[in-house]
Amino acid sequence: MGRRVLITGVSGFWGTELARRLERDPEFEYIAGLDVRPPPADLSRTEFIRADIRNPLLSKLLPQTEVDTVVHCDVLLVPEPGKAPSQLHDINVIGSLQLLAACEKTETVRTIVVRGSAAIYGAEPNAPEFFTEDMARRFPLRTRFQRDIGELENYFENFARRFPQVTVMMLRYQPTLGTAIDSPLTRYMRQSVVPTQLGYDPLLQFVHAEDAVSALEASVRRPARGPVNVAGEGSVSLSRLLRLAGRIPLPVPAQLFGAALGAGARIGLARLPPEAVMWLRNGLTVDTGRLIDEVGFRPRSTADAVDDFVAELRGRRALPDRPVEGVGASA
Amino acid sequence: MSLDRHDAQRERARRLRLDIERSAPPGRAPEARRPAPSRGDAEAARAALDFLGLLREATRQGSDLPAAVERAAGTLPASARDIARRAARRLRGDYTQDEWGFDEEFAEIVYPVFELMYQRWWRVAAVGVENVPSHGQALLVANHAGVLPWDAAMMSVAILKHHPLPRHPRFMVLDWAFRLPWVSAFMRRIGGVVASPYNAIRLLEQGQLVMVFPEGSKGAGKPYSERYRLQRFGRGGFVELALRTGAPIVPVAVVGSEEIYPKLGESRLLARLTGAPYFPLTPTFPWLGVAGAIPLPSKWRIEFCEPIDLSHYGPDAADDRALIFELSERVRDTIQEAVLQNLVARGSAFL
Repeated sequence: MGRRVLITGVSGFWGTELARRLERDPEFEYIAGLDVRPPPADLSRTEFIRADIRNPLLSKLLPQTEVDTVVHCDVLLVPEPGKAPSQLHDINVIGSLQLLAACEKTETVRTIVVRGSAAIYGAEPNAPEFFTEDMARRFPLRTRFQRDIGELENYFENFARRFPQVTVMMLRYQPTLGTAIDSPLTRYMRQSVVPTQLGYDPLLQFVHAEDAVSALEASVRRPARGPVNVAGEGSVSLSRLLRLAGRIPLPVPAQLFGAALGAGARIGLARLPPEAVMWLRNGLTVDTGRLIDEVGFRPRSTADAVDDFVAELRGRRALPDRPVEGVGASA
Repeated sequence: MSLDRHDAQRERARRLRLDIERSAPPGRAPEARRPAPSRGDAEAARAALDFLGLLREATRQGSDLPAAVERAAGTLPASARDIARRAARRLRGDYTQDEWGFDEEFAEIVYPVFELMYQRWWRVAAVGVENVPSHGQALLVANHAGVLPWDAAMMSVAILKHHPLPRHPRFMVLDWAFRLPWVSAFMRRIGGVVASPYNAIRLLEQGQLVMVFPEGSKGAGKPYSERYRLQRFGRGGFVELALRTGAPIVPVAVVGSEEIYPKLGESRLLARLTGAPYFPLTPTFPWLGVAGAIPLPSKWRIEFCEPIDLSHYGPDAADDRALIFELSERVRDTIQEAVLQNLVARGSAFL
């Protein structure tokens, strides 16, 4: 018997892409997608269920699908079209609660995979480099989003404790880097002048855009219990990233950075979430051993993600970047 | 340990030695490399002007800054051209950093500054450098003094300069430093990491040379009258690291570092205002401002003692508190004794 999967947030980038990949594999005999707006038309055998994840009706809907795997992609790291910023908390926390209530009623569920965030570790100056999964909550959760993620992880942890027969997997994602992705980070990196914090050069870590969904797919195929970090191995410093991308850094005194971002957003520059202030000051890197060893998936390294991102960025520029390539560059 | 890493090490050794040979008669080498002694200041100025002109030309034509520097570098004399090319390459982001943010090229760019301090300012005598393992993990444990981690820098220079197979050691830095602008970025680039057992274990497992200062800020902040009396070695965390990873401990005695900032007192108020673990008052600091942070030119001796191998205890011994304290005391005694011996061997503190 094949597997039956339900994907929440199926109309978002992650949900759609995952559904598209699972559709290709006959092992997944049934795929359902839950969202408030329809997914792109090219999903052929995914059954679209138009429902709000926060609706208590979910507890009636889910058991009827008889799915064995629930992939929770409707965790919003950033506002998406059709989902206002003020709804983020609602969708992330209340939505997850409703989903868990529904899972409780659905006896067929054996696996839950959640797309969470590495923001739970916190970007702190005194943090060790390369957080392992057991090092969450060592630092205060400072922003709304961090607290939401913390709360969400609590719910899923409790659920895992109460229902040991269900494998609950919490994927802690580092930011995704790719030109196909429209996120505050990629908008920030697209600006020709990029505000940075004076005197700070954080170590950052990314997931290659293509690996982001592959990690999700690998987790559906071979779930592991508990939290698993998802990131490309290694790191890149912000200054080097900007140099590679040919961006001009605009250093702002660190204390004013948050205010500068707010002001910048008002005049049309990229809007960054509040956790970006600490993130772009102290950086955040995680250990990816569990993903590689237990899930058996090795994402492209952060360096590769950066290389591909930069190459795509440069490819899209209207003017050739270095017209005299080969004259001096060969030396 | 892969073969090419050995090769890289040897290559570095060769390069460093070349550097040293080149700078051996200080001040003379750069002159010798200049193309012609007749080339006057006017010509140099003209070269610089040509360079700037070309730079402007190139940026106007639409190349970005690194490419423009690259193009304009052709007008410069050979030595300056290499520097300009390297700068251009680095501006393009074309350099490597390891996962800790350590930038070997950058470390080698600042190395001459540290080397100058090592040779001219503190006239360091290094003993027993060959006791530092040339490959694989090892924990360098040293006494700590001086407000700024000059002792770590000088230990690095001693290894890079005198070891047959030199490699850049990594050092643990008090997390307070990682809150500071510039300091945090600089430390990371030259091999500093936040003082955390997780970082130390990861570095050791990667086969690195890791420097720790178990006295911590208590050592760095001890008053002048307490110099060369080692403080308590914390909870012996470094022994735990060595037991867990099987890394040998190399005790290191640093003499001279404890005179560079004679701390006479401290200000609690200023410490609280700056968030620093302590705020030292020396004869020159903070009265002379930044100039007060110039270290005194004491004479230094650094002794690398024989490695202590703890691997026969096995990793489970890392949970044995009594053993940890005992070993920690043993290492502390070794360092204290070596410090006193070297203090005698050094003689006068400043001359």
